[in-house]
Amino acid sequence: MKYTTFNQTPTNPLLEPMFFGNPVNVARYDQQKHSIFEKLIEKQISFFWRPEEVDVSKDRVDFQSLSESEKHIFISNLKYQTLLDSVQGRSPNIAFLPIISLPELETWTETWSFFETIHSRSYTHILRNLFTEPSAIFDDIVVNEQIKQRAGDISKYYDDLIFYTQLWQTQGEGVHTVDGIAHTVNMRELKKKLYLCMNSVNALEAIRFYVSFACTFAFAERELMEGNSKIIRLIARDENLHLTSTQHILNLWQKGKDDPEMAEIAEELKDEAKAIFMQAVEQEKQWAGYLFAQGSMIGLNEEILCQYVEYIANHRMSAIGMGQPFDVTSNPLPWMNNYLNSDNVQVAPQESEISSYLVGQIDAEVSASDFDDFDL
Amino acid sequence: MSEKKPFVITLESDHEPIHTDPSDTILESLEKHQIEVHYHCREGFCGACRSKLICGEIDYTTDPLAYIDDDEFLPCCSVALGDIKIKLV
Repeated sequence: MKYTTFNQTPTNPLLEPMFFGNPVNVARYDQQKHSIFEKLIEKQISFFWRPEEVDVSKDRVDFQSLSESEKHIFISNLKYQTLLDSVQGRSPNIAFLPIISLPELETWTETWSFFETIHSRSYTHILRNLFTEPSAIFDDIVVNEQIKQRAGDISKYYDDLIFYTQLWQTQGEGVHTVDGIAHTVNMRELKKKLYLCMNSVNALEAIRFYVSFACTFAFAERELMEGNSKIIRLIARDENLHLTSTQHILNLWQKGKDDPEMAEIAEELKDEAKAIFMQAVEQEKQWAGYLFAQGSMIGLNEEILCQYVEYIANHRMSAIGMGQPFDVTSNPLPWMNNYLNSDNVQVAPQESEISSYLVGQIDAEVSASDFDDFDL
Repeated sequence: MSEKKPFVITLESDHEPIHTDPSDTILESLEKHQIEVHYHCREGFCGACRSKLICGEIDYTTDPLAYIDDDEFLPCCSVALGDIKIKLV
């Protein structure tokens, strides 16, 4: 089906599936088939922030005092995060928008992707502060073997879905030969590719960021690189919301609350979807190994970081019906929770103390018992 | 006026049942009794504290955005409306 930017055939978006129905026409939000996406848009917009609001100038002094192995950990994590957000800043738009059929899901995707571009901009903000000439860092992202290996796995499901969508939207269903390779394009195949892609994105949002988050917050526990930590807290808060959206999409499919064919596909591709998640867990653990190859850092080592990845994976996998495959029951890095708590994320990051805006805050909740001591 | 009655939270584990403070969320009540609960946002949008509600009724203080299954709830933004039995995921 050819894509159109304004579908002139009247449609009822309350009856459309999330994907592969009629293209969206009117961007209307007064009614929603899946109200969760409207709520996520509102929440995400309420989180709006700009990297320049966070003062990272003290980090430059801290960075000079880090050991060589700590510098390697810090910079490698920034490179990896830059890669992840480079992909996420464009891919949901390019892969999902052409096949979305609900206005609220369309706008959620745009809002989600836009926030990933803020994250990308914040890495430039951090690196420009640390280095007079940050080009070498950015250039290495494309050639670094460890990062390339992850980039391949992250982008392949997106690329596959995008390519098949392009074939379908320009040539329709059938067998199409491109550069000597025959591609079978039909709706079932397209939906399968979408399902695998969504699982890969879910795994990315669920665990791929967490090794680097843990390192950032481990520096902050030692009162080092705190400007960077403030930015990463804002990013982590956004990523939590993005994860919620992919979990909702996967569960709506699995539980048959959207396209019934997607429920069949979810069952059919259950093992493949789980393998995508397990592969992401494995790669994150290998990443921990690479980070600590030149030496450890205070408060963290490879073993504990791998346990944390497994602990987080258990929670994230059970949220989408994949069970809890790892044998870790308690949180190996309990202090992480403090950094991921949205109460501790500053609404006004220019204030240097995290809880400052809570000081003097008035508790507006009044219960009947509050008047017990009053006599008239 | 009488004080609000504290409710009892029973856990599906070896832990003793605990009494809630009516002004606390279920997560806060659990934490006051040194029960480890995984949490992140504490505002109902991340789903990190997602737990099973085995019996009893709860009410949300904030509309939860995170995905929760039919038999699950979020302790971070809910209060007990009576005695409840839960299982931490």
